[in-house]
Amino acid sequence: MLNFQEEIVSELVQENALAVVAAGLGLPSILAALVRLHSSSSGVLFLLSVPDDLRRGLRDELQAQDIGAEQPVEINTQFTAAERAEMYSKGGAFLVTSRILVVDMLNERVPFHKVAGIIVNNSHRMTETCAEAFIVRLYRSKNKAGYVRGISDQARGLTSGFMKMERVMKSLLVKKLNLWPRFHLSIATALEESPPDVVDIRVPLTPSMLAIQNAILEVMDACLKELRKTNKVDVEDLTVENGLFKSFDEIVRMQLDPIWHTIGRKTKRLVADLKTLRKLAEYLIRYDAVTFLKYLDTVRASEGVKSVWVFAGPAHRIFELAKRRVYQIVRTDGEQVESLVKQASPAVSKGKAQSKNKRRREQEEEEADAKVSGKGVELEVVAEEMPKWKVYKEILEEIQQEIQSRPADLPEDSWKSEARVLVACKDERTAWQLQRFILKGPEELMREEWNNYLLAKAELHGMTLRDKKKSRSKPQAQPQSAHGLVEQTALLAACAEVVALNKMEESSEAGTSGKRCKGKGKRKKRPDNTEQQVSEEPVIPLQNTGATDMSLENVGASSLVPPVQYYALESDQYRILDTTGPSYVIVYDPDMKFVREMEVFKAKHPQRRLKVYFLFYEESTEGKKFEASIQRETTAFETLIRQKASMIIPVDQTLDVPSPQAPSSVSSRKAGGRKNMEKHMQIVVDMREFSSSLPCVLHQQGMRILPVTLEVGDYVLSPEICVERKSIADLYASFSSGRLYHQAETMTRYYRLPVLLIEFSQDKSFSLQSANEVGDDIVPANIVSKMSLLVLHFPRLRIVWSRSLHATAELFATLKANQDEPDAERAMRVGVPTEDGLIEGDVRAENYNTTAVEMLRRLPGVTDANYRTIMDGCKSLAELSIMPFEQLAELMGGQRPARMLRDFLDAKFPTL
Amino acid sequence: GAASGASNSQSRNAILVSRRQQGNPVLKFIRNVRWTFDDIVPDYVLGQSSCALYLSIRYHLLHPDYLYFRIRELQKNFRLRVVLCYVDVEDVIKPLHEVTKTALLHDCSLLCAWSLEECARYLETIKMYENKPADNIQERTDQDYLSRLTSALTSVRHINKTDVVTLGSTFGSMASVMSASMEDLARCPGIGERKVKRLYDAFHEPFRRTS
Repeated sequence: MLNFQEEIVSELVQENALAVVAAGLGLPSILAALVRLHSSSSGVLFLLSVPDDLRRGLRDELQAQDIGAEQPVEINTQFTAAERAEMYSKGGAFLVTSRILVVDMLNERVPFHKVAGIIVNNSHRMTETCAEAFIVRLYRSKNKAGYVRGISDQARGLTSGFMKMERVMKSLLVKKLNLWPRFHLSIATALEESPPDVVDIRVPLTPSMLAIQNAILEVMDACLKELRKTNKVDVEDLTVENGLFKSFDEIVRMQLDPIWHTIGRKTKRLVADLKTLRKLAEYLIRYDAVTFLKYLDTVRASEGVKSVWVFAGPAHRIFELAKRRVYQIVRTDGEQVESLVKQASPAVSKGKAQSKNKRRREQEEEEADAKVSGKGVELEVVAEEMPKWKVYKEILEEIQQEIQSRPADLPEDSWKSEARVLVACKDERTAWQLQRFILKGPEELMREEWNNYLLAKAELHGMTLRDKKKSRSKPQAQPQSAHGLVEQTALLAACAEVVALNKMEESSEAGTSGKRCKGKGKRKKRPDNTEQQVSEEPVIPLQNTGATDMSLENVGASSLVPPVQYYALESDQYRILDTTGPSYVIVYDPDMKFVREMEVFKAKHPQRRLKVYFLFYEESTEGKKFEASIQRETTAFETLIRQKASMIIPVDQTLDVPSPQAPSSVSSRKAGGRKNMEKHMQIVVDMREFSSSLPCVLHQQGMRILPVTLEVGDYVLSPEICVERKSIADLYASFSSGRLYHQAETMTRYYRLPVLLIEFSQDKSFSLQSANEVGDDIVPANIVSKMSLLVLHFPRLRIVWSRSLHATAELFATLKANQDEPDAERAMRVGVPTEDGLIEGDVRAENYNTTAVEMLRRLPGVTDANYRTIMDGCKSLAELSIMPFEQLAELMGGQRPARMLRDFLDAKFPTL
Repeated sequence: GAASGASNSQSRNAILVSRRQQGNPVLKFIRNVRWTFDDIVPDYVLGQSSCALYLSIRYHLLHPDYLYFRIRELQKNFRLRVVLCYVDVEDVIKPLHEVTKTALLHDCSLLCAWSLEECARYLETIKMYENKPADNIQERTDQDYLSRLTSALTSVRHINKTDVVTLGSTFGSMASVMSASMEDLARCPGIGERKVKRLYDAFHEPFRRTS
């Protein structure tokens, strides 16, 4: 551990505090040290909000610090409630999800007096009513002596929003704030003592990339101007520079959120478009020319009609230029067919362009005619390489030379083991491509990408023809212009060639791999062959670990380049540098956190050599983003330092604990939680609801919360009152999915007073739609129409419109006033089918792969009646995908639903 | 006979409005359905068995007991008893709490609207939809292929429509998407590390985690 890391730990241990640490400064080391300071004999330590990758980092770090160190226990769905209680009673450190812990605390499975303390990671995400805050409050109400420590490495997360930092501290019930920016004296000193050698390389974009980037920025600017016109957003933050950042969405959302449900469709569309454009700007730099074109095709196909931006002039330029990076249409006499790019250029006035357009179209129609007869035009493949590739290879060669001329003072063995090369790039995809680039060279790589592109096109086209034969009812989208037609035909000719070539290759190797069928019409229908369809390149197996070994001895390439290990930054392996121990790092995609990790690594090993190459695209959005990310963190810390100086912390912050409890709760505490003696109200709450804030607020109001798994409703207030809670977004979504109808149906069946709670957010506007959305006519899709249908079909359903969480809590109390207390046991059994022997345990929700179940229930043929039996007879969706029809028919209770499902699963994806 | 029959069927197709509502600006916005004054107990009769009471929050603040007495007059003749609440004040929490409580405990469905147009639209729609089946809010089965594919795949968090098209066109069918390997998923443009993991887990982790 470095000195400053020890300082961070010791300050946290001295006094309950929130520690904010700059990104990349060794969060796993800090957590590991905190865990090591705890021993099971001193009771229980809970670690909250530790994501998977950090858990891995923490484990490795613990082992590195002390091989014999006790590892924290992960509490997950595999343990029953009783087992969890047993584990807690034995003490030790636990990594636990907040939802499980809240429920365990409420069900008194946690021995509060034995809990030594709680550490909340990602503290910047906390709010006063989140599950972690709930846990801290429950803990403090029973145990005043233990510690609570908050940690965050996202300084920016603490400066967004009103009084965010104070509110987080209040949620943690801590009074002290420890700030550890990169410019902190002890950190700066430690990291700058023996910094790594850094080589900055600026790679220019190709002219067409630059032109595409400019066009993207131009469209963004146009979108922003439109957005400003709506007068719904603050103009100041809306710059193209900001638009390049992910946080831009935040800025816009933060401004629009309070009125989100009242703004028009067009404004929403603009916000979505800006996001798409930001991605395009990013992918332009990340993806090769062919992949970028493929992505553009997909974007256009999937959102073309709705998007505003697709129709903007510069958008056209984006598409054209992206194509021209890949291929060009030329006459066979060598002359290039004029592309539409020039027409779209802003220099030409509109009227002129149109008349020109018309003339050209006529001309092109002639050409098209010529083409249809199969003469005159062909496709020339351009397939521009990524500029960084060449530079990357040069760096590798330079490193190889350096390695071979090792310094004289080093023995060869140790030098060889030390001279490792790590390449950090954005994701697996890039790593995989760089590997192929080194193996095969740029031409071969691009040829492969291009062939894949054509094959995909051919596949789609083959389908178009077949579809047309089958159903004339669905007209296919035709290329609009004759020019498009020429291009289309040329493309398809190229496709046909590739397909033919592919077939030849196949037939030549038919003896060995007959099953590998590629190309139209040849695929077998059996789904179990499908994995062959896609990966016809069985190159190097990529593990999901993020780092991939590519030792060139294995693949037999030249020794011009050294063996390299790839690291995908997205995979967030905290200890990648420690485990690989490189002397050379090539940062292919710059990233602030990774830079810090290298600094820390170097500081830990001051004697080692570490040479770092940074690759930036010149004049690109990439460099700007990198510099700005550092600037943003610095600014955030400066803000926090200022706020800390003027912060007013109430002296009794730690004491005003479960204050809002009703006086009756005092007696209940004496009664030791025995049910019959309780005077204060209780509410049965579905386990899934603990990801929302309402249970926490209800508890603050002094109600007793009984967490169970409910089949019907979210809250049971009394034997008669059952509540289904819907946020506005949920309300819309569950209307369109039909789920709300179903829920209303079951609630009405089992309870005398079924209630639909429509929950508005306190900081958003209180209304379902904006005035202009109401419109003049009765429109079936409008929310008024849907609400009307709902009340007509469920006249007994009561509707509650709640302005805020606190309003809901108060209303619940009022509604319960003259009612009996609900019975948790009974509430759990409501609506649960018993015939099929499914007795629902209280951790049911935890025991399901909820995403998979949700997806299953959305598949055609799957109904509320048969999804359970499907899950009984089939383990996973992957298994379902290859299940034969007969078996499905058995599981789904009939031929018809099984046919629907099988047909849907096997249906060919249509051309767009 | 014929004349009265005609007027009868006419009134069957119209919203009946109590004379108490004379002067209510909402009436100006009822344009999609005919309406006519009549001697009725509720404020509006919206069908054979549906009626509505109209209440603006501002009025409620002046006459907090009004709603209760009006509901009491209604007797049990109507299956659906709507309290249509016009939210016309800023500080809404306390009055809305009272209105909600009264409506809920006396068997009324509360509908809130934020403009006179919206109030009128509710009255019109309930009348128009009197005999309409619930198809529009039930699970639809007649969707096209792409919407179904989108609906299924977007149950995985952060998977968007573009990703659905990418997945569909790369793998060719839903079955192939579901049995795709992690590497193949990772090679789709726009599908980053996290999305790959989420998709793969959704497909391969068992439905039931235990047993």
